Amino acid sequence: MRRVVLVLLLVVAGCASPAWDDADYGRKAGATAEAAASSVALVRLAVENEAKLTRPYLQTLLTETVTALDSVDSQFGAVQPPSRQAVEVRAEITELTSEAAEQVQVLLNEVRLREIRDPEKAVADLAELGDRLRAFAEEQPS
Amino acid sequence: MKRFFAVTLGILTAIGGFVDIGDLVANALVGSRFGLSLAWVVVVGVVGICLFAEMAGRVAAVSGRPVFDLVRERLGPRAGLLNLAASFGINLLTLAAEIGGAALALELATGIDYLLWVPAVGLVAWLVMWRVKFETMERVFGLAGLALVVFLVAFFALGPDYGELGRQLVHNPSDDGAATYWFYAVALLGAAMTPYEVFFFSSGGVEERWTRRDLGVMRANVFVGFPLGGLLSIAIAACAATVFLPQMIEVDTLGQMVLPAGLAFGQIGLALVIFGVFAATFGATLETALSSGYSISQYFGWQWGKYVRPREAARFHATLLVSTIVAVALILTTIDPIKVTEYSLVLSAAALPLTYLPVLMIANDPDYMGDRVNGRLSNTLGTFYMILLLVVAVAAIPLMLATKAGQ
Amino acid sequence: MTGRVLHAHLHLLDRQVVRADGRLLCKVDDLEIEWGEVPYVTAILAGPLALGPRVGGVIGRLMTGVTRLFRPEEDPAPPRVPMSLVGEIGSAVTVGGDVPEASLERWVREHLVDPLPGSGGRDPGLRGPRPVRRSEVPARDRLSSLVGRRVVDRDGADVGQVADVRLTQDGPLLGETTQALRLSGLVVVPRHTGQLFGYERGPGGNSPALVRAVIRRLHRGSRFVGWEQIGDPGDPIRLIEPRAALLPLHELFTRDDASASA
Repeated sequence: MRRVVLVLLLVVAGCASPAWDDADYGRKAGATAEAAASSVALVRLAVENEAKLTRPYLQTLLTETVTALDSVDSQFGAVQPPSRQAVEVRAEITELTSEAAEQVQVLLNEVRLREIRDPEKAVADLAELGDRLRAFAEEQPS
Repeated sequence: MKRFFAVTLGILTAIGGFVDIGDLVANALVGSRFGLSLAWVVVVGVVGICLFAEMAGRVAAVSGRPVFDLVRERLGPRAGLLNLAASFGINLLTLAAEIGGAALALELATGIDYLLWVPAVGLVAWLVMWRVKFETMERVFGLAGLALVVFLVAFFALGPDYGELGRQLVHNPSDDGAATYWFYAVALLGAAMTPYEVFFFSSGGVEERWTRRDLGVMRANVFVGFPLGGLLSIAIAACAATVFLPQMIEVDTLGQMVLPAGLAFGQIGLALVIFGVFAATFGATLETALSSGYSISQYFGWQWGKYVRPREAARFHATLLVSTIVAVALILTTIDPIKVTEYSLVLSAAALPLTYLPVLMIANDPDYMGDRVNGRLSNTLGTFYMILLLVVAVAAIPLMLATKAGQ
Repeated sequence: MTGRVLHAHLHLLDRQVVRADGRLLCKVDDLEIEWGEVPYVTAILAGPLALGPRVGGVIGRLMTGVTRLFRPEEDPAPPRVPMSLVGEIGSAVTVGGDVPEASLERWVREHLVDPLPGSGGRDPGLRGPRPVRRSEVPARDRLSSLVGRRVVDRDGADVGQVADVRLTQDGPLLGETTQALRLSGLVVVPRHTGQLFGYERGPGGNSPALVRAVIRRLHRGSRFVGWEQIGDPGDPIRLIEPRAALLPLHELFTRDDASASA
């Protein structure tokens, strides 16, 4: 029993990462951008097919996405950037994600009120933002 | 004619009852990330659950003894108690995930936050277990779960690229590492072979008072119903592979997972799929809650079951009540139900041999089974699966830690 | 006439006890034995006070400790079901007669289930009378206390430890017709080889060959000790014969098969 606990402790200790370096930070930022791009693409898909979906459903879907995008800020705030370069990376990714969160929030407000005013423009904006997120992710070390 | 009706009804119930929150989440996730390249795991899992559910059902029909009786009898009090602790804990986690899933489905239908639905789901589930007859309960939610067939129809309606999907069967389209691939393989196996399914199946057999004469019906349910349920699982993955994979979308919420049905059939499709998800998860809420009562009662020898009045199985009903309350409380901590599901799947996979080894042993014991002991095919396959499940059990937790639960 | 032969662990312990009307009662958590002229099983013991010592360790002590706390007696004993009430021994053990239910079941019913709406518990007609507590039976030895004991032969050489107890139904009469299960032998394994699963005894049908082979290999060198070969059934159990005179377990089986077919 005691041996099992010891092994578990060692395993856990092995998983906890030590101080982050630039590459780690970049990887993390890249993964975050990927996840945000995935969320944005999903919202775009939903907005494109808005007519086929119900309002409560859209509302729930958009709320989830806003919450997920908002949580990125707090995630990155918790880690001290290891270098000046990393500070720039952080600025870029948080700007992109908060832009995404803002766009989706606007759509959410429109859905809550009535319906999305200009779906075509929203789709184009989301597509463009998605491309920028993917491009950012590509730049990061993998 | 009446018999034919009974068999059909049983099969339909088995199909609808097969899919639960674990199958939904695992298949949609895997479909969006790995396409159909893990579909073979579902096939392996379905063959496994058929094999062991048939054995457990046969033991229940011939000897009247459900699975946890066998666990205690073959493993003894000490190993049996460890097994009980593990199974009960995982079961509770699964119960919490199912309650969360049912509440999330209600949120998708109404737009009202799922946390507000959680206590209501718990209360109604308890009322059903308290008052509704076993057969009625099983039938109603099993049949309602059939609404998930919409995934299968939606798949064809979405106009998938069959060539690409065919390629995915043998070639993994994702650039994630091998560890992640195998982590999800383990999770899918855990989803298809979840231990509570055999606890519930064999105890249900005792509740419905199966005898040797019911063996045929039982086998029809298992060998036709479960594979068709598995087909539904693959359809969920195929829908995700068609809609999400080309757009590089990785789904991680229930709302995203049901989108393909909406894209295919509009609001009706969406309503059907949400109804199906609710029925499947609510039905599974009942199954997991009852399984927690079954396992603990069968270990200690308490009177259990819905075939007696609640006051004659007081400790059993107390267990149901307490488990439901604990699971509701767990979800109310605002922990993500989808995350809970993922962990419960992997832990289920790690605990599989604990449940299936005693079943395999008793199914061979002429003391219990008389002339209905396992045949050569069941034993060869059973041995193969025991080795497989042992490998999976050993690999599950390290894979989870190494991939940070598949991230 | 030879009586039916059972193995305590394999056929009796941990099985479900069922009333004649099909309701579930308890598990065979342990067996009570009487050392008379011939030792035999007198009763089934049930509940945490019987199960706890078998589970052992912290959990086992906790089980018995908590139960003692809630029992009013000075030195509470586990509920017992006399063997004279036992009918069939199969995949479950059937008992006849009026056996009181566990006190925890009664407590939970009265304090939790009955007050809930729809339980029908408020109907006073449904309430059974409180069970009369049976007169205390002096504490006797438990069968599980034999399991795990060391066995040494005539010369003090180590034989192994007890893994199971063989019972033959040819003991003294219990009640009018049933004969008691007499302790007729021990299954002794060389070292702590873990659980016996029954594969080491008997041909075992067409059990998965691999599982059977693994378990048989683990238990090679297991021996059978007839009760008449025991000198002192204390701890350790002393035999009156040398180790070499003991029958290997698998030979016992071929012998049984031969006598069964004869």
